[in-house]
Amino acid sequence: MSEPILQVKHLVKSFGTHEVLKDIDFEVQKGEVISIIGSSGSGKSTLLRCINMLETPTAGEIIFEGKPVSYKPKDKNHFRSRVGMVFQSFNLFANMSALKNCTIGTEIVAKKSKEEATALAKKYLKIVGMLEYQKARPAQLSGGQKQRVAIARALCMEPDLLLFDEPTSALDPEMVGGVLEVIRDLARTGMTMVIVTHEMLFAKEISSRVVFMDNGIILEQGTPDEVFNHPTQERTKEFLSRYRQ
Amino acid sequence: MPNTFWEWVAFLCQKYFPDFMRGLGVTLELAVIGTIIGCVIGFAVGVVRSAVIDKGASPVGKGLMGVIKVVLGVYVEIFRGTPMLVQAMVVYYGTMALWGWDIPSFTAGIVVLSLNIGAYMSESVRGAISGIDPGQIEGGQAVGMSYGQIMFHVIMPQVFKNLIPQIGNTFVSAIKDTSILNVIAVTELYFAAKTVTGTYYKFFETYIIISVIYFVLTFVISRLLGVLNKKLEGTRNYELVKEPESTDE
Repeated sequence: MSEPILQVKHLVKSFGTHEVLKDIDFEVQKGEVISIIGSSGSGKSTLLRCINMLETPTAGEIIFEGKPVSYKPKDKNHFRSRVGMVFQSFNLFANMSALKNCTIGTEIVAKKSKEEATALAKKYLKIVGMLEYQKARPAQLSGGQKQRVAIARALCMEPDLLLFDEPTSALDPEMVGGVLEVIRDLARTGMTMVIVTHEMLFAKEISSRVVFMDNGIILEQGTPDEVFNHPTQERTKEFLSRYRQ
Repeated sequence: MPNTFWEWVAFLCQKYFPDFMRGLGVTLELAVIGTIIGCVIGFAVGVVRSAVIDKGASPVGKGLMGVIKVVLGVYVEIFRGTPMLVQAMVVYYGTMALWGWDIPSFTAGIVVLSLNIGAYMSESVRGAISGIDPGQIEGGQAVGMSYGQIMFHVIMPQVFKNLIPQIGNTFVSAIKDTSILNVIAVTELYFAAKTVTGTYYKFFETYIIISVIYFVLTFVISRLLGVLNKKLEGTRNYELVKEPESTDE
């Protein structure tokens, strides 16, 4: 196996005395689509947030393309510019149009020219089906539309790895389909992705690997077939049974 | 000589019209300059005091930042915790006593007013910054923006927009607060009135005149700011953009 694009080693995260992540080891190979599933409070989102350093881990190491990522602001920002993140609550910049949301990062972080940034933004807004709405501000868009713009914003940085933190949890059922469709298309292009999700059918369909987290540890992982159809752990069976009706 | 109250008012208005106007001019000048400098100070202090010290920053940077924050905290507490009248006295006479500086009272007035407005404004700025959804910062972090870039491009434009009404209020109260500066002989409107009363001893008439001037001024400015605010709110409409199909790759 080639060198993983991202490695998480012995990651521990505590909030006070409460240990949310207990010695997590986790790696991502280039081109993989990994779904992280598990009940609320199992540490899925915290793991994702630690990977992108939005949370400072209590202990452990994050290794990106073979090099440990330091916590110096400069290194951290460079690392983040290579790893995209899509949030449950979108987090689009409220003071900017959809287009500006997409160009700002490429202009001031990736230091591309305005023309180049705009061309990229238009390309990705078109891919997510939001090109028409480029002049709209986040407050003027629906949840599903905002999430699609947020995905375009992350894509504009042309990241090596894309993280999704429950991208459809804040959307009404009608909007979920459109956003999942966009992620599905991305998976086909070979984008490396880690997706925290509660959409089991979707995870089963698009993932190359499924990770089941419970109580701060990775309890079980494998191909979708292994995890969904032949889980070995009782806890996994119990969790999945609630989704099968 | 005039006999009735109203005759006196008319008489004083007429006779001292240029003095009142000169005083009004100084009052406006103080309020405008004081509000502008005060807001600049307030935004700078507010931004620095709410800056999050990055855990990965160098120890020297962290230490320096800590010291600056303490110094600014002391400044804000002192200027919010003492009357402006006393501050005016301390600055005007203190600079003379300590360093022998004979600064013009107008300059001393500007300094006191600006520092006072700056202290209050910085707390409003701090509040407005902490009121912004933390998701806005995380959105910026996720694309790799530095803390400074997030502040400049994302947070402060939103903070500034939210604070426009507050800036307007500050300007209106600055107009009234300038009257305090008469104690260090700044020749603003109240000082002009005080001079006038010295000649005819018509206190009520004179102060009624400047009350009306102050009120008309603040009232008109409040209305204008209201209109300006409405304009800045902007429209909630937007247009869809139809790109020609030829932009495809």
